[in-house]
Amino acid sequence: MKTTRRKLMLAGAMAPLVMGGAGRALAQAAGFYKDKVIIINVAGGAAGGHTRYARMLQPYLLKHSGAKEVRIVLMPGGGGLKAANHVWRVKPNGLELFFGNVSTLILAPLAGSAGAQAFDPVKFSYLGRVTSEPRVLTVGGKSAIKSIQDVQKLKRPFVFPSQGTDEDFYTMAVLGDALGFKVKAVTGYEGNADTSLAVIKGDGDGHITGWSESLGPIRSGDKNPILMVTSLPSPDYPGIPVVTAIAPAAKRATVQAMATILETHRSYIGPPNMDPQAVAAFRAVVTAALKDPDLLAESKKGERPVAPLEGALQQKQVAELAKASANLESILKAAVKDIQ
Amino acid sequence: MIDAISAGLLALLTPQAVLFLFLGVIYGLVIGILPGLGGVVAMALLLPFTYGFETAATLALLLGAHIATIWGDSVTSILYSVPGSAKGLALCFDGYPMTKKGQAKRALAASATGALFGGIIGAFFLALCIPLIRPVILALGPSEYLIMALWGLTVIATFGEGSLMKGLTASVLGVLVAFVGMDVVTATPRFTFGSDFLMDGISFPVAMIGLFAVSEMMKLTIKGVPIVDRTLVKEESTVMEGIKDAITHRWLVVRSSILGLWIGVLPGVGATVAGLAAYAQAVQTSKTPERFGKGAVEGVIAPDATMGANEGGGLMPTLAFGIPGGESMAILLVAFMGLGVVPGPDMLTKNLDLVFSMVWIIVIANIAVTIIGLGITPWLARLPSLQANLMVPIVLSVCFVGAYATRGHIEDVIVAAVFGVVGYLMDKYRYSRANFVIGMVLAVMIERNLHISMTLYGNDFLLDRPIALAMLMFVLITAALPFIRNWRRKKRQLASGVTAP
Repeated sequence: MKTTRRKLMLAGAMAPLVMGGAGRALAQAAGFYKDKVIIINVAGGAAGGHTRYARMLQPYLLKHSGAKEVRIVLMPGGGGLKAANHVWRVKPNGLELFFGNVSTLILAPLAGSAGAQAFDPVKFSYLGRVTSEPRVLTVGGKSAIKSIQDVQKLKRPFVFPSQGTDEDFYTMAVLGDALGFKVKAVTGYEGNADTSLAVIKGDGDGHITGWSESLGPIRSGDKNPILMVTSLPSPDYPGIPVVTAIAPAAKRATVQAMATILETHRSYIGPPNMDPQAVAAFRAVVTAALKDPDLLAESKKGERPVAPLEGALQQKQVAELAKASANLESILKAAVKDIQ
Repeated sequence: MIDAISAGLLALLTPQAVLFLFLGVIYGLVIGILPGLGGVVAMALLLPFTYGFETAATLALLLGAHIATIWGDSVTSILYSVPGSAKGLALCFDGYPMTKKGQAKRALAASATGALFGGIIGAFFLALCIPLIRPVILALGPSEYLIMALWGLTVIATFGEGSLMKGLTASVLGVLVAFVGMDVVTATPRFTFGSDFLMDGISFPVAMIGLFAVSEMMKLTIKGVPIVDRTLVKEESTVMEGIKDAITHRWLVVRSSILGLWIGVLPGVGATVAGLAAYAQAVQTSKTPERFGKGAVEGVIAPDATMGANEGGGLMPTLAFGIPGGESMAILLVAFMGLGVVPGPDMLTKNLDLVFSMVWIIVIANIAVTIIGLGITPWLARLPSLQANLMVPIVLSVCFVGAYATRGHIEDVIVAAVFGVVGYLMDKYRYSRANFVIGMVLAVMIERNLHISMTLYGNDFLLDRPIALAMLMFVLITAALPFIRNWRRKKRQLASGVTAP
């Protein structure tokens, strides 16, 4: 597992170099997609985070690809599995792609999700990550739980309002296993708004969200962040413990794998065996779009940060993760069994 | 507070804000009239164009468009039984029968005026309730949502079409269709037969387009006559009649508006349930409930007033906690972030003028929609008298494009066609289509909230939730009212018959 971690860190360190190389492929990119129509199947609804990012990127993909049109098609359902299953089967000509959360595509097959039996996450063509938002465990502002240690000392299960088997549900199962506390998942909530209110009201003890989703309630004191689910500490979140630092040594590899999976986040992917020319071209397009000063300004203004990771690196990373995360399988399957 | 009220209005009096509000309203009306598209789509499409403008102008554009879709949705429900989006469903029940009776102008005008009054009452109460918003929202939870859904369910009795068994059968079919897709509790696929398409369930707006619009067009094709044959049924109603109806039924408007505001405060309940609950409430409080479903104007006024007021209520969780109450509010939240506005408790203190700008936008947009709506009603009311051979291809094309546009899936066009056949057969054999969709819209909400309530509070959760218990009592009383009235009337008739010479 240490080897895996080292490889992933090395991959991260090499990212700028590879991105530079990808930038040089820009001419090739413009040539491949010139006057073509690219369909981006977004694994989310009209108001969702994936859609907002996909729409923010759309004009820049158009600009840097030379395509006639970059068409956004919303394909919500099954926590992204519907769009993934669809893209798994499309022609591998690079004209129909997926945009959404890669972590779900890795976690759902591990958990034995019925909607994820048709595809193998390793075989998708990874075309580049747009952003990776850190996940945070928050509790209600008025809750007696003030820290992750309080959670570990609870004499009852930690009540976790959940939408169902999304990546937050899987993450909570892994945290419970690694940090030694029982989790009672209350499924059936409709979305993060619902689970947030449940936590603020005290119906639930806490839940996991992207940092930006909880930022407002954290600033107002309605929620308290008690744990960052990231692979490395960040100066952006001072005073909040990081799961990879506090997990017992025996469980550190498991939480490291989980955190790294979560960091794959919002990415473009294509079907398996995608035309290599299309793969290279779209990776270059994504890289160029994410460096565009206008996009960076828009991203900053709209508080939608980007955190690029080049597609080739992501491809390697997912392959490594699939191997490294085999020990997650039993934890995830047990959590799913608990709610069924 | 007075300063904030005037500052909120002044911010909207710039040329940019006035122009954006007007553009938003026109655009929202057009989007609302198109089947399958509603306020969420209207706002989502506008969002990328909102950066770099004045804060009040941006909100005027987004909220103005969203509010205009309410009446836009109602127009096609009333004229063709084609709901512009899911929330227009309740308008089909009595609006379309009014059109068939030659009262399209009256129905459209009553609908627009009802929505106007509802919008203003909702905005007024929003302003009034600002200090109470947070405690109210914190006091409500899944048990209260469950009772609200049960209230919507009581309307099923209205559409039995003479047979309670047929009414219940239709509802159960709707429930079964709603269960297609991922189980909301266990996250396992249900009734999907291995199909990816069915994993996301049957789209409610698409099913409605099929059940109501496609089946009506099938009927017209078979009969070969227009919806309204002017040689048999003259359009004798007027716009003024509709306006007067809304004023005459002012207490219904007030009740429906407060209900809309209440439902708006409950995140996740949504305008579709609001419309159904309003309809249920109109039936249950009417002295002549038997007129409903056959063209009672109250059945048009109540849902529109509720949906108008619902907008004010829907803003509350978004403003008070920075937590969106629905998809449209999630889009508004994104706009807030783009504008550098942070929703949450500070919004109700430091940004109170912005909150009042939104209150004013709701009021002004509602007035603008009503003026435009009443102005174009005489022309709109002529559309149902178009010959079937002209109208059927146009309406069917719009329906199928709408079905496709809902989620961008070609399979949804097939679903609309299949539900068209189902709707036609249900109508022919007098199984209520309304009951089918009511079962469909409420099933998952009931399942979801019953499960959460029982998991959090135990099987006797009602004893832990006094507000839910009080709401249940209220629902039981209102559901029993028509039966009690009926029993009293029969008793009186019997008594007068006995005493008559």
